Amino acid sequence: MYDVVIIGSGASGGAVAYTLCKTGYKVAVLEKGRLIRRDEFSKDELAYCRRDLVTPNLFDEYHTIEEKVDGKWVATPTYESGWSFWNGNIVGGSSNLMSGMLHRLHPDDFRLKSKYGEIEGANVVDWPISYEDLEPYYDLTEELVGVSGHYEKHQYEPPRSRAQFTQPPTKENAVVKLLDKSCQKLGIKSLVTPRAVLSRDKGDRNACYYSNFCGSYGCSSGAKSSSREALIKPALATGNLTLLTNTHVKYLHSESKDAVKYAMAVDTVTGKERRIEGKMFVVAAQAHESSRLLLNSANKYHPHGLANTSGEVGKNLIFSGGGSGQGELHKDSLKDIKFEDLMTTGLFVNRSILDWYFVDDWWDGKFKGGSVEFMFEHQNVITRARKNNYKEGKLLWGKELGEHVVKRMTEQKSIRFEIFNDWLPNDDCFVSLDPTHKDKYGMPVGKLRVEGHPQDVKVGKYIAKKCEKILEEMGAKNIYSSVSSAPPQNLVAGGCRFGNDPKTSVLNKYCQAHDVPNLFVADASFMPTGGSVAYTWTIYANAFRVADHIVSVLRTVA
Amino acid sequence: MIKRRHFLILGSILGLSPYVYAKTDDSFERAFKKIEPTLKAVQAHMFPQGSKLPSADAMHVTQFVYETMQHPSFDRDIKAFVIEGAEEFMQRTKGKFLSMTTAEKEKALRAYEETNYGSSWLERIMTLTMEGMFSDPIYGANIKEAGWKSIDSYGGFPRPSTKYMGR
Repeated sequence: MYDVVIIGSGASGGAVAYTLCKTGYKVAVLEKGRLIRRDEFSKDELAYCRRDLVTPNLFDEYHTIEEKVDGKWVATPTYESGWSFWNGNIVGGSSNLMSGMLHRLHPDDFRLKSKYGEIEGANVVDWPISYEDLEPYYDLTEELVGVSGHYEKHQYEPPRSRAQFTQPPTKENAVVKLLDKSCQKLGIKSLVTPRAVLSRDKGDRNACYYSNFCGSYGCSSGAKSSSREALIKPALATGNLTLLTNTHVKYLHSESKDAVKYAMAVDTVTGKERRIEGKMFVVAAQAHESSRLLLNSANKYHPHGLANTSGEVGKNLIFSGGGSGQGELHKDSLKDIKFEDLMTTGLFVNRSILDWYFVDDWWDGKFKGGSVEFMFEHQNVITRARKNNYKEGKLLWGKELGEHVVKRMTEQKSIRFEIFNDWLPNDDCFVSLDPTHKDKYGMPVGKLRVEGHPQDVKVGKYIAKKCEKILEEMGAKNIYSSVSSAPPQNLVAGGCRFGNDPKTSVLNKYCQAHDVPNLFVADASFMPTGGSVAYTWTIYANAFRVADHIVSVLRTVA
Repeated sequence: MIKRRHFLILGSILGLSPYVYAKTDDSFERAFKKIEPTLKAVQAHMFPQGSKLPSADAMHVTQFVYETMQHPSFDRDIKAFVIEGAEEFMQRTKGKFLSMTTAEKEKALRAYEETNYGSSWLERIMTLTMEGMFSDPIYGANIKEAGWKSIDSYGGFPRPSTKYMGR
């Protein structure tokens, strides 16, 4: 029997495993995917970005996505739509494939209801912990997992216990001169993006080598601060971690109301089932799958699903609100920088804007806003070559296609922005079990209803307009933005809210199930509200905090 | 949300091709062989010689389409659609596409593009052809990086040492 069994090896599973193994506990990490080692990663666009090779085949494992069509809820299996909600099922999870643009939450994100009051149609609540409770763990993540950057004082930058980042920012493309100058002219403050990519060597991890293909790909130098590189590898080195790959957990078995006894796992290659016993269980399967696992673990002791006395498991699922926009910087109209410097590949844009994190506008009013990241269009060659090859609605081909593609690829570069704002939790965004669809292991698939709140789109559009002005000032052409209520499937949280009241939350403030003391949920499921930044830094930090509590509980039991 | 399966399969006038019901690789091979000359000619029309991009004929893109569709990671609905869309196009052109002049081919393809189904099929063929031409040379259709060189855009390092991550 293991001291702790962790389901999932991504950011949260890795952080819990690292802490426990370093403390001396025997841990099993059950990972559904396989291990891809650093030296096995390549920049193979076809394999990583255009085929399901790091995620399950959608005909084997899928979700059903429920959207409102003509006033009725319609569920579509993802094998029909091709809209995959898997995000990297390999050791280290989706942290292997992230772009790594990270921010901490703001202190007010922990008390959104107190700060902004009720919003009609949204289930906003304050968190049971404060920024001060999480700050030491943000700091730990920054140093241990590795976040490079440069701190500059800004009214919406949260306070830090460490004056400056230990790793300086990654190298930047000359376009930042143009971007900074344009922002300055508009009275906007551009900040250096904290990035989960090492700019200097750290232990056996080598600094970034600026491959030009970062997001969506595994890192071949170890610079990207994935759970696999930063946490699972050192946890394995302690000798206390048993890493079970190709091991999918179908359900957690309990023989009483207050404890999980074992995880029923299936070998994804052989199909053989086995029971894996532990004193404690930590679910870290990514938010929508963690809720599904608890719901699939229903039995006579837990008729509505494990840890679901409150009926809240799966409720208040959140994504990230916002959208994105883009503009083209053309060779013949480029300002301030040389075209060949713009076209230099591999270097980061590394700029964020927090000016609209909280908005108090004379016309639009006072509301919670969001953050913005600037970046180049993803450099994938096939994707870039294939897009926008139309003329008057007809597909271009022949010599005309050649002229068009070569000109676009060699005489311009697209710069884009991504907006992150709160996805307000609401009654029409949740995960439940699909009553008919089952995966290849015979378990009901997760049915996700993914409706956003109208406020999310309003905020996104407000910020998009501001960003379009920046692109205009930069001299970009063909500027457009797209803000919608469609959920970004890689930015998912909620479903197992933490809180002080067992009637309205699934987990206590340590992410321990109110109902089942030997069960924790360590991934982003706990978040009652999501803040207006990508979740990853908060996931790492909170999982370290949860791990410290698990250690204290294990010590008490001993 | 578009329901892909319905759109791709039920959208065809011909209905389900025998290949869709068949389960063995042999049947795919047979079905592909039948449509291969037409597919090759369509790709050649899209990527002719004398363009700023490499020609389809020089880059072995038809072979790429055949191989990539046989990999288990390829979507089975799209695999059927590629075959069936070609069959329908062959039927529409009464098997004469190969012997048409360039102008006649253009007219036939643009006519097919007028239908939602034909437009979708041509989009798919364009995507598959570009996947071959601009993917890593290991996949066999970006010969000597000619695709990358033509647009001065290259894949990153390390390059793959096996196709499809060795899966």
